[in-house]
Amino acid sequence: MRMGAMFTDVIRALFQRPATRQYPFERTASPDRLRGKLNWDAEKCTGCSLCVKDCPAQALEVFMVDKANKRVVLRYHLDRCTYCAQCVVSCRQSALTMAHDEWELADTDKKLFTITCGDDADVQRLADLAPKGVNEQT
Amino acid sequence: MIDEKREKFIIPIGPQHPALKEPGHFEFTVDGEIVTAASVRLGYAHRGIEKATESRNWTQNMYLLERICGICSHIHALAYCLGVEKLAGVSAPPRAQAIRVIVAELERIHSHLMWLGVAAHEAGFDTLFMYSWRDREALMDVLESLTGNRVNYSANLIGGVKFDISTDQRDTILRALETLEERSKHYLSIVTSDMVFLRRTRGIGTTSAAQAEKIGLVGPTARASGVARDVRVDAPYAAYVDFPVKLVLHTVGDLESRFVVRINELFESYRLIREILDHMPEGEITARIPRRIKEGETISRVEAPRGELFYFIKSNGSDMPERIKVRTPTMCNMASVPVLGIGQQLADIPMILAGIDPCFSCNDRTTVIHQGEDGDVWTWERLRQHGIDFYRGQP
Repeated sequence: MRMGAMFTDVIRALFQRPATRQYPFERTASPDRLRGKLNWDAEKCTGCSLCVKDCPAQALEVFMVDKANKRVVLRYHLDRCTYCAQCVVSCRQSALTMAHDEWELADTDKKLFTITCGDDADVQRLADLAPKGVNEQT
Repeated sequence: MIDEKREKFIIPIGPQHPALKEPGHFEFTVDGEIVTAASVRLGYAHRGIEKATESRNWTQNMYLLERICGICSHIHALAYCLGVEKLAGVSAPPRAQAIRVIVAELERIHSHLMWLGVAAHEAGFDTLFMYSWRDREALMDVLESLTGNRVNYSANLIGGVKFDISTDQRDTILRALETLEERSKHYLSIVTSDMVFLRRTRGIGTTSAAQAEKIGLVGPTARASGVARDVRVDAPYAAYVDFPVKLVLHTVGDLESRFVVRINELFESYRLIREILDHMPEGEITARIPRRIKEGETISRVEAPRGELFYFIKSNGSDMPERIKVRTPTMCNMASVPVLGIGQQLADIPMILAGIDPCFSCNDRTTVIHQGEDGDVWTWERLRQHGIDFYRGQP
């Protein structure tokens, strides 16, 4: 039995650097495996929609805008994504990857959270195909 | 005239943050400072997860079930994956099983260190709280670099794991364990020798082995009372078959022994992780698994940081489960709070509650509300009719 068993820890801590970091002024590199923003390679994608089926958060939508030429557009909902990387595992073509350094994704504008990726012409074609106004809502 | 002797004084605590930052309602009848009767009401964090699993496919469910608990997320996914793999007749490769166990043990270390801090905080020993959480941060960094996330690691896949452990990562884990082991020894000496702290833990909330058996305690709470109960030892799963764990027991059963058991379990976890890392099985880390799981039902039991975690999984042959039932360890341990609280000082109640390492959100999946003296039991027919009437009334 003794009194003040942690007294030495406290005294020692006075001469140590703080354990906390002054984020955002002081940053450390994110680990390589960190699951950040999803990146999609349009050239590799075959539009099989396996990622859409397995996504637990309904964060992905795949549109086949031209079946004959295999033109695919992916809509990614950043705000729904839980960053579990299941889509990355499910993708047989390795078309999806997660960026380890893009993780500060908060914003005040909700519109920025819906990202439509693909060739500019394909994205335009999707917009033409869909009834007006529907695109923005989904 | 009021008969003062027959009047009861009831202190309601909660549902907002009853000692811990989670919802639960407690009513303590007191005579002066001494608790004479106690009751618990849970169900404030009920989220209907079990029902939600029935409308998601097998893969999606893993991520949903992982989110039952933020502290022991990996073990939930592990219990689910082991169950589904058993149903499908596939088993994950040995290397995947070893990685699963490493993450499970790292999770146990972080959970126990977190509990150490919370319990110390409940006792008013905030210095221990701050320093144990500072040291826990080293482990959180390891988990982040290993799995890619601090909390919901998503390490599992049905049929394996997502990632391998490289030599660099192995060294990082070993380095962190070295520091943590030294610190754990220090904390063990503090909780067993600090005079002021011992007055809050020694001889408080003592549970005998017989009592623990009767209430049905699980995990470290039961082991602190000398009940040899650990799923990792009783029914080894994953890599625990090849890498056995030593049961950590203590016989006294008071709050101090719960501290001792949990800290000693840390040493056992450190030893196990080192052993697995030294003898990592080689080979694949995933096995192929069909999208549709064969019809059938199974149970899956694992040892979560708080005790036995139980999963019942039923498949009807489609790509979605028919029924998933989860029983978390807090459900079993919570019953001890009203029993052990009686006869104790009111001021010791938060410590007794924290002593079982409760996790309310894990726990709330069924709510039984008793009406009247005998309670109210609904027949299946009545429940079905209630459901029909309820949805008919919806717009």
